[in-house]
Amino acid sequence: MAIDGHAVVIATFNLFLLTSPLAIVVIVSLVVGLLMVVLFGYTSDQKAIGIAKDQLKAHLLAVRLYRDQIPVVMGSYGKILRGTGRYLKLAFKPLLYVIIPITLLMVQIDRYLGQNPLPVNAPFLLTVHLAAASAGQTTASDVLNDVALDLPPEISMTAPPVHIPAENEIVWRLAGSKEGEYEVKIAAAGQSAEKAVCVGSDLPRISTVRLRGQFWQRMFSSAESALPENSPIESISINYPDRNIEIAGYGMNWIWLFFILSMVAGFIFKELLGIQI
Amino acid sequence: MKRLCGQRIALRDGRGRPSLHWYLFLLLAVVLFPTASHAYAGPGAGFAVLSSFWAIFVAFLYSFYALMTWPIRQLFRFLRRRNAYGKATFERAVILGFDGMDPDLADRFMEEGRLPNLAKLREKGTFSKLRTTFPAISPVAWSTFMTGVNPGKHNIYDFLARDTSNYLPFLSSAEIKGPKRHIKIGKYSIPFGKTEIKAMRKGTPFWHWLGNAGIFSSVIRVPVTFPPEKFQGVLLSGMCVPDLKGSQGTFCLCTTRASSDKFREGGVRVPIERKNGVCRSYIPGPDSPLAEKAGTELRVNFEIRPELGSKQARFVVGSEKFTLKVGEYSEWIPAEFKAGMGFTAHGICRFYLKELSPEVEVYVTPVNIDPGHPDLPISHPVTYSIYLAKLFGPYATLGLAEDTWALNEHVLDDDAFLAQAYGNHEDRERMLFDALEKTKQGLCTCVFDTTDRVQHMFWRYLEEDHPAARDVPHSQHPPVIQDLYERMDGLIGRVMEKIDDDTLLMVISDHGFKSFARCMNVNAWLHQNGYLALKDGKTESGDWFEDVDWSRTRAYTMGLNGLYLNIKGREKQGIVDPGETEALKDELQKKLNGLVDPASGAIGVTGVFITDAFYRGPYTENAPDLLVGYGAGYRASWDSVMGKVTGQVFEDNTKAWSGDHCIDPRLVPGVLFSSHKFIEDKPAIVDVAPTILKLFGLALPAHFDGKAWTLAAKAH
Repeated sequence: MAIDGHAVVIATFNLFLLTSPLAIVVIVSLVVGLLMVVLFGYTSDQKAIGIAKDQLKAHLLAVRLYRDQIPVVMGSYGKILRGTGRYLKLAFKPLLYVIIPITLLMVQIDRYLGQNPLPVNAPFLLTVHLAAASAGQTTASDVLNDVALDLPPEISMTAPPVHIPAENEIVWRLAGSKEGEYEVKIAAAGQSAEKAVCVGSDLPRISTVRLRGQFWQRMFSSAESALPENSPIESISINYPDRNIEIAGYGMNWIWLFFILSMVAGFIFKELLGIQI
Repeated sequence: MKRLCGQRIALRDGRGRPSLHWYLFLLLAVVLFPTASHAYAGPGAGFAVLSSFWAIFVAFLYSFYALMTWPIRQLFRFLRRRNAYGKATFERAVILGFDGMDPDLADRFMEEGRLPNLAKLREKGTFSKLRTTFPAISPVAWSTFMTGVNPGKHNIYDFLARDTSNYLPFLSSAEIKGPKRHIKIGKYSIPFGKTEIKAMRKGTPFWHWLGNAGIFSSVIRVPVTFPPEKFQGVLLSGMCVPDLKGSQGTFCLCTTRASSDKFREGGVRVPIERKNGVCRSYIPGPDSPLAEKAGTELRVNFEIRPELGSKQARFVVGSEKFTLKVGEYSEWIPAEFKAGMGFTAHGICRFYLKELSPEVEVYVTPVNIDPGHPDLPISHPVTYSIYLAKLFGPYATLGLAEDTWALNEHVLDDDAFLAQAYGNHEDRERMLFDALEKTKQGLCTCVFDTTDRVQHMFWRYLEEDHPAARDVPHSQHPPVIQDLYERMDGLIGRVMEKIDDDTLLMVISDHGFKSFARCMNVNAWLHQNGYLALKDGKTESGDWFEDVDWSRTRAYTMGLNGLYLNIKGREKQGIVDPGETEALKDELQKKLNGLVDPASGAIGVTGVFITDAFYRGPYTENAPDLLVGYGAGYRASWDSVMGKVTGQVFEDNTKAWSGDHCIDPRLVPGVLFSSHKFIEDKPAIVDVAPTILKLFGLALPAHFDGKAWTLAAKAH
């Protein structure tokens, strides 16, 4: 039985009544803060980190205690730099363990919280980037003229496409008339490719781009399967509006909020668990 | 994703876990294909990066501030102090205090070729006996060393002073009082205000005079510097710093052995409960500041899990877990005594696993004030003790950190005591060398107690027939004291490598040492000779004059050398008319002076000194009326020190504490070594302060009792 990952995520969010992006970020930050601190604790040399931190503090205090003695101050400053290097070296190994899961997690969360879906009736741009002209097509214009767009009834074109031969790109201005998840079809050189379009106001999993090849870029920025290797299309992208989370009238990208909250959570948990960071 | 998964399987290690290469590969990918979200890699890494940045940023700010303001501060200092080092003979003075180093032993070991570095000092500079104070007791002598005055001006006459209202003792150096106001909330009595620490030692240490002139000082573990006073420099307090309980050191023996015996002093016995192979006990701590009832002790529980096969045990103390083999010490372990409502007393202690089978016994050192989190100020500035703790790790802060009581009570054996003493010594060496590195100009002084403690406890092996070592054949006596002097000589050698001709090195001791083979109970003598009376029917008293009939007592003694008259109008139950005191002093002096020990025929008392003759100053009223100067081999008995009257005047001293210096001060001068020659016939410890001030080109305060020595010549 196939498991729909998106449905699982949404069901989990709903289970915890997390329909608000702010609540999601808060909970995720707390959980990540805890897990990462524990992971850091297990994968690091806690004693050595403790000593390295203490030495750093000692050299900082030396600067203060012997402030009238410039050679001591300068010597301490050098020791602080060396101590910082030693400390970062000790933090590097746990950093290796921490950075992988956290990066993958953040990439996935970004699919939900990074962009808003397209508003109903609001125009948006669909950009198709094609490969360079093939042997049977003499110019870039020939390539672009060969591309056709097939839209579902809920999505309409609000302006004729714009061809940019220098970039091998065609840009359509479209608008969705009804909330939902749709697929638009792009045909080129006898092949067709689909691109998901999300219209509405919910918390859908959004893929801003569909790519051919480019494994790492696809992994970090696309939520769709790769375009076929022999497709003339290199990428299909949609300019979804960025999502801002409002706090006290100030909007910010979720990543900044996550940064602050997970740091606070990490600080609290490291104290509670007695873990040296 | 299938391809990715396939790749991931290929990058697993032999045990099926993702290999380091896999992580490096992914990390590389993150670095090569960054997006905004990858900039942050979780709180662990975030803290690491932020902390490093913060450390550098703060250091930069400090450095920038120091650099920018340095010329202004220098100018300000120049205007105020007119070039502090302008008239100085030396750029730096380094004074190493070896408490109790004996000139006769030093001379003997130098002749034996054991002390090459001290011999070098003797040849190149000065080696002389250094006259000590009356009495020759460390807190008295070091107070005189630092203030340059006699005890009548600094108010320290012994470790203990007596309360004339009740004849009970109190610590002579400092008085600690809790907050006066409390507010009662439910079961708690919450203190308001600060703990008050009153310095009882008067006078001004000479590093204050140096500081006033703009000369920096690093002062480490000089006795009677608690509470620390403000001056230009850094100071770590030494002898007289209390433990967390407020005592001068209370060890703890946790044991499964049932015993109702109490230690005479210095320690407590705590039961270990054994259940299902796990032993549980606790460390007794200070009284709860929140408890309504005084004497409600705070405790830190701990667990011992014996592993009998490997003769070791796993300890769990709070969040600390460690394993000890039998006969092994732990590192310093934090002990947090929680009183509730956020009140926590921070201490540190070391565990020593004595025995695992058939019984379990663990010795715990006195709980020292945590230097990294001091609940009482033990340094100036407060951050100096923290700085040292961060730089070198936790260290002993207790004034009398070497647990002589535990060895006296056979809780520790010789090896365990020496391991503890030399562990503390190594910490202080590290502090000294850091101070030497940081103090290129000015004064650097450090006092090492190890010399005193080890000689006190191991003198028995230096003699053929000491009562405390009669069970060990003389041929098997370990050369502990020889080793001690050699270690100290090695330290001097390492210090000499760090200094040049512009540094004056002085090695001094506050007093020497002699054997303590026989005890004399002066209270018993006073009782037998009609000067001290017991209540009817009593032949002996309890501690601190319990059962003494003050209405018929004319003289009494407590502490190590002091003898007091029970003077009308001064003591609460005084009977000696002030007009009769001189005659009584003369009478006691005549009778006690030259007192012979009938068992050996040796002179037990070689001098009785009427203190009026040599104490001058505003605090002479607190001085003892007479000082008893015991002969070599004698000292006040343990009972006499604690105000107890026994049946016998003289008895053998069978305790490990077998050497002493609290005798006739003329018999136990200290040592003076220096890297440059001084012309002085009879140097005294009281002269050190004026000498240092003179060498730095400062005028001597008029109240000084010492005189500055004359430097013979300086090489350049």
